[in-house]
Amino acid sequence: MSNRYVVSLFENEHDLLEAVRTARERKFTIVDVHTPYAVHGLDAAMGARPSWMSWACAAFGLTGVTTMMAFQYWAAAVDWPVNVGGKPWNSIPAYVPVTFEAMVFAAGLGMVLTFFLACRLYPGRRARVPDPRVTDDRFAIVLEEADAAFDLDDVRRLFGRLGAVEVREHVSEVAP
Amino acid sequence: MMNPGLTIAAPVVSSVAARICAGIGVLSLVAGAILSPASVWPYLLLLSYAMIGLGLGAAAFIALQYIVGSGWSAAFRRVPEAMIAAMPLGFVGLWIVFLAHPSTYPWYGVSHDAAPGVAWFKHAWLSWPFFLVRAAVYMVIWEAFAFAMIRHSRRQDATGDVSHTKSNIHLSAGFLAAFGITSFLASVDWIMSLKPDWYSTMFGWYNFAGMFESALAVIILMTIWLERRGQFRGVINEAHLYDLGKLLFAFSTFWMYLWFSQYMLIWYSNIPEETVYFTARLRGWWLPLSIASILLNWIVPFVALMSQPVKRNAGALAKVAIVVLVGRWLDLYVMIFPSQTPGGPVFGVWEAGMTIGTIAAFLIVVFAALNRAPLVPMGDPYIRESLHHH
Repeated sequence: MSNRYVVSLFENEHDLLEAVRTARERKFTIVDVHTPYAVHGLDAAMGARPSWMSWACAAFGLTGVTTMMAFQYWAAAVDWPVNVGGKPWNSIPAYVPVTFEAMVFAAGLGMVLTFFLACRLYPGRRARVPDPRVTDDRFAIVLEEADAAFDLDDVRRLFGRLGAVEVREHVSEVAP
Repeated sequence: MMNPGLTIAAPVVSSVAARICAGIGVLSLVAGAILSPASVWPYLLLLSYAMIGLGLGAAAFIALQYIVGSGWSAAFRRVPEAMIAAMPLGFVGLWIVFLAHPSTYPWYGVSHDAAPGVAWFKHAWLSWPFFLVRAAVYMVIWEAFAFAMIRHSRRQDATGDVSHTKSNIHLSAGFLAAFGITSFLASVDWIMSLKPDWYSTMFGWYNFAGMFESALAVIILMTIWLERRGQFRGVINEAHLYDLGKLLFAFSTFWMYLWFSQYMLIWYSNIPEETVYFTARLRGWWLPLSIASILLNWIVPFVALMSQPVKRNAGALAKVAIVVLVGRWLDLYVMIFPSQTPGGPVFGVWEAGMTIGTIAAFLIVVFAALNRAPLVPMGDPYIRESLHHH
C-alpha cells in the first residue's frame, strides 16, 4: 500500500469517462471516481463488478410480500373473521393492493438503509471527498501510486490531453 | 459528424410475397364475410383496432419523448413515425365493419324505449349517427396531430432548425391531452359497447396499457431488425435497447396493474351487471385464454426482462417483444369475442388468412413510410446525444 494518491479533476462526464477508460487500459489503480451525479456507464468503464444491491432489493421486497400476506391472512381469517359480502374469509384478491404497497415500502426503505450501511454513512459522519467541488460541478478520478513505475508527469500529460483541468498529488494515510 | 452511411433508405418490403399475403387477407375477409359472418366481422374489428393501437401508441411514444425533452430516442424516431402509417389502415377496416356490418354492435337498431328515464344518457351516446361522427372526430384529431408532428420532423432534416422541435413539443402537449380523452372514449365506443349493458371505468386505461405495450414491442422489433440488416449499425447500441427494454418491462407491469385493478373492483363490489364480464371470461375455453393472456402480457416479460443483460441482448429482447405481441392479440381476442361467439372461441381459416394479410399490409405501409424520409433524423438537435447514448 502506498500513501501517495493522484487526484485529477474533469469538467464534464464525457472527458471523465474517456479518462477512466484510458486509466484502465494503462493499468492504473483507480481508487475511486467522484461525480456530482450518477454518470451512466461509469461502473462499466471502471470495470466495477455488478452490484449485489438488486439482490438485497429482491430480498426486501419478498420479505414485505410474505409478511403482509401472512398478517392479512391472520387478521382476516384467523384472529377476527368478518363476513364481507359473503366472500371467503381468506380472499386473496383483497390482499393484493396492500401486499403490493408493503412490498414497495419494504424494498424502498430497506434499500435506503442498505445503501447507508454499505457506504458506512451514519449521522455525524464526515464526508471524505478529494475536492469539495465534486459535489458541485467537477468530476474526480483518484489514482493510487501503486508501484515505482508510476510516473506523475506521464499521468499529468495523459489526463491533460483528455481534458483534465487539474492534476495534483495527495499524500495521506487514507485515500482521499 | 454527418455520416452519409447513416441516411440510406430503409429496405422496401412491398415485395411480391407481401402483396400476395395482403391479397390473401382481403380474399379471406370477403369469403369469411359470406361463409362465417359471426366471427369474421368481430375479427376484422379486432385487427383494425390492434392496427390503430400500433399507430396511435407510436404517436403517443413520440409525443412523450418530445414533451419530456428526452434525447436518447431521436436516433430511431423514424421507426415510430413510420408506424403511424398503419393507423389509416385500421381506420379503413373499422369503417368497413361500421358500414357493412353494424349489427356487430348489439345495440345497433335496438330501441331503448323499454327503459324510459333510466338510461337516457346511454341512449343518446349509443345512437348510430353520433357513434359514427365520434369515430370520425377521433380519427381526424389523431391523424391531424400525427401528420403535423411528422411534417415538422421531416422538414428539420433539411434545415436543422430547432424551431421544428419547439413546434413539436407544443403539438405533443396538445396531442397527449386530446389522446388521453379520445383514446379512452374510442375504446369505450368500439370495444366496450360490444356488451352495452356492461361498463367499467378502468376500461380505457386498461386498453391504453395494452396499446402502448404492443406499440413498444413493434418499435423494438423494427429497430432490432434494422440494426441486424445494417441500416441502424452504428446508430443503435445496447443502451437504446436497454432503455426500450425498461419501457417494455414497465408497461407490461402497468398492463397487469390495470388488468388487476379492473378485476378487483368488479370482484369486490360483486354486482351482477359488472361481474357478467368476468364470469363469461372465466368459464369454459375462455378461462385458459384469459390465463394465457396474463402469462404472455405480463408474467413472461416480467420474469424475462427483470435482469439487465436480457434487456441489452437484441435477440432475447426481440423474442420477448414477439411474446408481448401475441399477448396483445390474445388480450383483444378475450376482450371482444366472448360477447360475439358466446359458445366458445372461434378461429378458422378465414381468421388465419386475415391475420396474415394484416401483418403483410402493416409491413407494406410501414416500410413504405420508412422509405419516405432519411432513416436517421440528422437535423434533430438531440441526434448527437442520441447517437452517443450510453
